[in-house]
Amino acid sequence: MKIELTVNGVVRTLDLPPLVRLLDVLRGPLGLTGTKEGCGEGECGTCAVLLDGEPVNACLVPIGQCDGRMVVTVEGLAVDGAPGALGRAMAEHGGAQCGICTPGMMISAEALLVARPAPSAAEVRHALGGNLCRCTGYERIVDSVLRAAAARRGAGEVGP
Amino acid sequence: MSVADLARYELAVPRALSEACALLAARVASGEPTLLCAGGTDLLVELGMAPPLAAGARPPLCVDLSRLPELRAVERLERDGARIRIGAGVSYLTLGRHELVQGALPLLARMSHDIGGPTIQARGTLGGNLATGSPAADGVAALAAHDATVVLTSVRGERRVPFAGFQTGYKRSVRQADEIITAFELEPLAPGSPWCWRKVGARQAQAISKVAFAAVAELEGGRARRFGAAMASMAPVTATLPATRALVLGTPLADLDGEALDRAVAADTSPIDDIRSTRAYRAHCARALARGFLRELGAAV
Ligand SMILES: Cc1cc2nc3c(=O)[nH]c(=O)nc-3n(C[C@H](O)[C@H](O)[C@H](O)COP(=O)(O)OP(=O)(O)OC[C@H]3O[C@@H](n4cnc5c(N)ncnc54)[C@H](O)[C@@H]3O)c2cc1C
Ligand code: FES
Ligand code: FES
Repeated sequence: MKIELTVNGVVRTLDLPPLVRLLDVLRGPLGLTGTKEGCGEGECGTCAVLLDGEPVNACLVPIGQCDGRMVVTVEGLAVDGAPGALGRAMAEHGGAQCGICTPGMMISAEALLVARPAPSAAEVRHALGGNLCRCTGYERIVDSVLRAAAARRGAGEVGP
Repeated sequence: MSVADLARYELAVPRALSEACALLAARVASGEPTLLCAGGTDLLVELGMAPPLAAGARPPLCVDLSRLPELRAVERLERDGARIRIGAGVSYLTLGRHELVQGALPLLARMSHDIGGPTIQARGTLGGNLATGSPAADGVAALAAHDATVVLTSVRGERRVPFAGFQTGYKRSVRQADEIITAFELEPLAPGSPWCWRKVGARQAQAISKVAFAAVAELEGGRARRFGAAMASMAPVTATLPATRALVLGTPLADLDGEALDRAVAADTSPIDDIRSTRAYRAHCARALARGFLRELGAAV
């Protein structure tokens, strides 16, 4: 099936079997390995990407449903090729340890911060409810997102 | 796992409901296996867990429902007593944010925040929740509490099935193979009326319910003039609690007896032991949830 979609701002034209998972298309033909596979069944959230601005699990999205749509992966959150406020906060404040959950955490956090630039800790926890982390105990992730939100408000930095 | 098999499926992408119905009718008439896909949050998990396809076997055709505008609308049916029609393909995310839903169907809006996590809410739909037929389905319990009408469409036209007549057994329903669930029609809840959505699970997000309880009521003169309630994970189908409803509707709230209520809830449910919970704990939760809501309505139970 011919599929045209925009990935991180670049239009990509693909010809692929339509039920192949968006996750495998990103990590395979598109070479975007920032998006990880954890459970492969919607439970862990490490494969999260933005689809038309909303966070979804790329392991549960058939590529055939992506024609004409816009995908943003963790690579697309970079600002001028370097981590933005969110990526920096995760690195500097212990929000990432082994890092497997980090791409999904950042995507869910990005969706939240675009909608609510000054979220409460409870809102951050709710937004990250579908993202599991086996390392940090979550506190530092929530803290990193709150710090990133503050930094973005200060710097006037907006998401992609 | 048979994720590799996904590369062998084909997808049809109809752009209108009539086109989808015609395709489905032709497939069913010729006996060719067909799958439907809305948000894919049940289907992709199921296909991933399915045994590998035999070499050379032709997989079922998958029909995409996500591009059908008829399944995506939320609207007030002005001609029909202001009932609200919710497209079967509306995501939980849209439902939870929709002003009309928040105002007139607050239980549905609240429930939408409790399905999986935000990534599941962005994709999952009420149509998929009902079609999968799990007795643990949260959205279906919310529909049942409102006595929603299920709208089914096929090449033969549209038919409306009251919720109480839709499910016929574990994962079985009156839906014919060539019918698409297109919408749900619900009676708005009078402004300010009490309602309850409680999901008991191991964790707030990403946990299938041990028990979920959905209820709405409208009160007048010390009685409930409207009382709808349902439970998930308490029976082989969504429990619609007919004995409990009859008791509450037939008794002035001040006269309602707690033990009679417990007996009605017990008669309406048949919980089991499974990996998520025990029969005894589920029965306890069901009694406590029902009593809790009735206390909120002013009953001394
Ligand atoms: C991690 C995770 C967490 C979850 N948490 C919850 C939860 O908390 N509560 C809960 O109730 N569920 C939960 N689910 C299950 C699932 O998300 C819901 O049942 C959801 O509503 C399914 O909708 P969908 O559009 O994704 O269905 P799909 O996967 O697209 O379809 C499911 C089935 O329904 C059929 N179907 C879909 N739409 C229609 C239609 N309009 N007409 C006829 N048939 C149709 C399809 O053929 C398919 O067989 C969870 C799933 C995952 C993966
Ligand atoms: S890999 Fe997609 S949710 Fe775990
Ligand atoms: S940092 Fe290791 S899983 Fe989250």
